[in-house]
Amino acid sequence: MMNSLRQTLTRHTPTLTRRFATTESTGLMSLNFNLPQETLYASAPVKSVVVPGAMGEYEVTADHVPIVAELKAGLLTIHFDQGESEKYFVAGGFSLTHEGSVTDIVCPEAVKVDDLDSAIVQKNYEAAKAAAAAAEAGSVEAAEAMIEVEVNRAMGNALGLALA
Amino acid sequence: MATEKQIWNQIQSTKNIQKITSSMKMVSAAKLKGDEGRRMTAITFNTWAEALNGPPKIIEGATFEELPQKVLLVPITSDKGLCGGVNSFIARGVRDCVQKLHSQGKEADIALIGDKGRGPLRRGMPEQLKLSLTEMASPGNFTTASAVASELIAAGAGDYDAVVIMYNGYKNAATYHQMYKIITPFSGEGEDEPLLAYEFEPDTKSEVLADLHEYLLTSQIYHSLMDGAAAEQSSRMQAMENASKNAGEMIDSLTLRYNRARQARITTELIEIISGASALEG
Repeated sequence: MMNSLRQTLTRHTPTLTRRFATTESTGLMSLNFNLPQETLYASAPVKSVVVPGAMGEYEVTADHVPIVAELKAGLLTIHFDQGESEKYFVAGGFSLTHEGSVTDIVCPEAVKVDDLDSAIVQKNYEAAKAAAAAAEAGSVEAAEAMIEVEVNRAMGNALGLALA
Repeated sequence: MATEKQIWNQIQSTKNIQKITSSMKMVSAAKLKGDEGRRMTAITFNTWAEALNGPPKIIEGATFEELPQKVLLVPITSDKGLCGGVNSFIARGVRDCVQKLHSQGKEADIALIGDKGRGPLRRGMPEQLKLSLTEMASPGNFTTASAVASELIAAGAGDYDAVVIMYNGYKNAATYHQMYKIITPFSGEGEDEPLLAYEFEPDTKSEVLADLHEYLLTSQIYHSLMDGAAAEQSSRMQAMENASKNAGEMIDSLTLRYNRARQARITTELIEIISGASALEG
């Protein structure tokens, strides 16, 4: 269902973006959300995007000031005009908001939150925590395990899991 | 002159080679589809980087005057051969660029990607060749590109005034051009401050810029790898088609020679029989 929605969106994109240029205040922004192996959104008109910035989440809407943000692993929510939204879990990357309500989000990897398996997240989280506890403090392994813990915790939060 | 048997053997081996080249052509044609698709997504992915760095330029006829004092050239060649001129065109472009930069009193070092550029560059300019990365998994992906980018940064890419990627830009199944793109580090102060119009998050701008530069380099390398892969595949397709055609022509001319030799043998045998018979009659 989401796929068909996406197709509909991309098919209507050219007309909608053209309308942008003439009437500034449609309240919509243009989103480019790209992965190296897949183009998720190409100049799609959306209402807002909640981006997991390295220092905390923030929301980009139309006419947002230009901003470059480094992303952390976390939840990225796209709100559409009709009140629908889509949630992705991104692995990091960058978000660049340009003048003229255009935002480029480039991530090395992103998956739909619905595609995440909460049991596996739970398991990986426990394993990572055990690895972090076992690793020597200050070592590379400890840092890697800590990242693993953080990422899995973020994933768990996105799924609404209560991870200890 | 070769005997009938020798010509026959030659025909058979040429036919075998033709079979190989024509199936290689078919394999390349199939792989090209995949490479084209990956190239298209890579182009979309790389839009933001291209907006920051400017569009790539064609190597042929370039003066390279816009390049800064000290540059790191990153030519992208393939690991596998039998793909026409892709790699020698890049090697020639690199040689040309280094010569022009030297005549302008600038410095250039080379960090090579791919095995097939190594031969000509090692022979031509061994003292410039600082690093060579080979045996990349095919098809390349973003992980490969980030591995390459971190190798380049580890090799001191940050100490250069610019990184110049040279690669084959795919146009269509029959044409490709040698392109280069210049990636300069984000530096400068006051009015020259990079990305002045943008706010930064986290607001430690220099750190974010360093990360952004690395990501930008990765993205550009990724795009160049994908573009190069498509060009390589299309060139291989062309090369194999030509090889199959040449093999066909060779088979034709060999068959002609074979038939002539056969005819000559039969004629001789006939003459021998006839003259033997007439000797008996007489």
